Amino acid sequence: MSHTHTHGSPGDTHHKAAPMVEEITDYEVLEIAVRELAIEHGLFTAEDHRKFTEWAESIGPAAGSRLVAKAWTDPAYKALALKDGLKACKEVGVDWAEPTGVGTPSDYMEFHVLEDTPALHHVIVCTLCSCYPRPLLGMSPEWYRTTNYRRRLVRWPRQVLAEFGLILPPEVEVRVEDSNQKCRFMVMPMRPEGTGNWTEEQLAEIVTRDCMIGVALPKPGRTADVHPIQKARRPVKSSHQEAAQ
Amino acid sequence: MKKSKSPEASRAPFKVGDKVRVRDMPYMFYTRSQLYTRGAVGTIAALTYKDLIPEEEAFNFDGHVEQYYIVRFRQKDLWPGYPFDNDTLQTECPHRWLEPATN
Repeated sequence: MSHTHTHGSPGDTHHKAAPMVEEITDYEVLEIAVRELAIEHGLFTAEDHRKFTEWAESIGPAAGSRLVAKAWTDPAYKALALKDGLKACKEVGVDWAEPTGVGTPSDYMEFHVLEDTPALHHVIVCTLCSCYPRPLLGMSPEWYRTTNYRRRLVRWPRQVLAEFGLILPPEVEVRVEDSNQKCRFMVMPMRPEGTGNWTEEQLAEIVTRDCMIGVALPKPGRTADVHPIQKARRPVKSSHQEAAQ
Repeated sequence: MKKSKSPEASRAPFKVGDKVRVRDMPYMFYTRSQLYTRGAVGTIAALTYKDLIPEEEAFNFDGHVEQYYIVRFRQKDLWPGYPFDNDTLQTECPHRWLEPATN
């Protein structure tokens, strides 16, 4: 045997692979199996699947931001948004019946815009799984799908909002909307002060994804959902990291 | 567990403002009526659409089509000791999961 290379000897850091965990859940295995079967049986092609996946990953919350900004500046449009959410979406370029442009319909066709007032603040969640108005807002953030957010928001909404930096006075009614059936919801926050002469485009910039979920409020200067990352107090170090330093 | 008194379909649909109690019923393998609402009294906030019930649709069975409602609860009625009087929670239920309530 000509293989003389020795692994794991002291000082041998060149060939040590980075620690890596490859995990796949039962549901991911199921998705792959169903997808491969569907392709095999000609329900859609692998190319269709790739296009749809890329589309789903590319859409963001911009259309929702435009919807809110337009409603803030146009009372007639605001009335439409509150009465017929799907029709209002069409005016900002989102057709729930044909959101992809590649023939894939939306899974659900019930959409409601929840209007915040000085006395009422809405926040959305899906305790069942991860229901979210995707045609309008794109994919939900990772935290929205965690069991932590889902189970705690219904039980301790004010505490969870406080963790996002949003502390509301007790006299404001906090209304949790659990979208656990076929309706999809988004929050229309109140237009903040100091935006009197702003254009629709300027307004849209401060209507971030978090504002439309209801875990943040729009304000001048806040144009991104940035959640601070705390450094670990006692960071874990592997021999691999030490070797790299 | 409370026994169902009449077939769900025979009960009149609820109206916005009606007081309803979420029934505590058994289900086979799947439901979307969350445990935290069972037995709680809320108010019909909206009639949404008519559709298959999740307990059947989950198994690709085209069975009962029912009216769905958005029900509004006071958080105090869902969670013992909830400290904020004004706070509410809304969720959707199909007709069979609701029964008239007086209080």
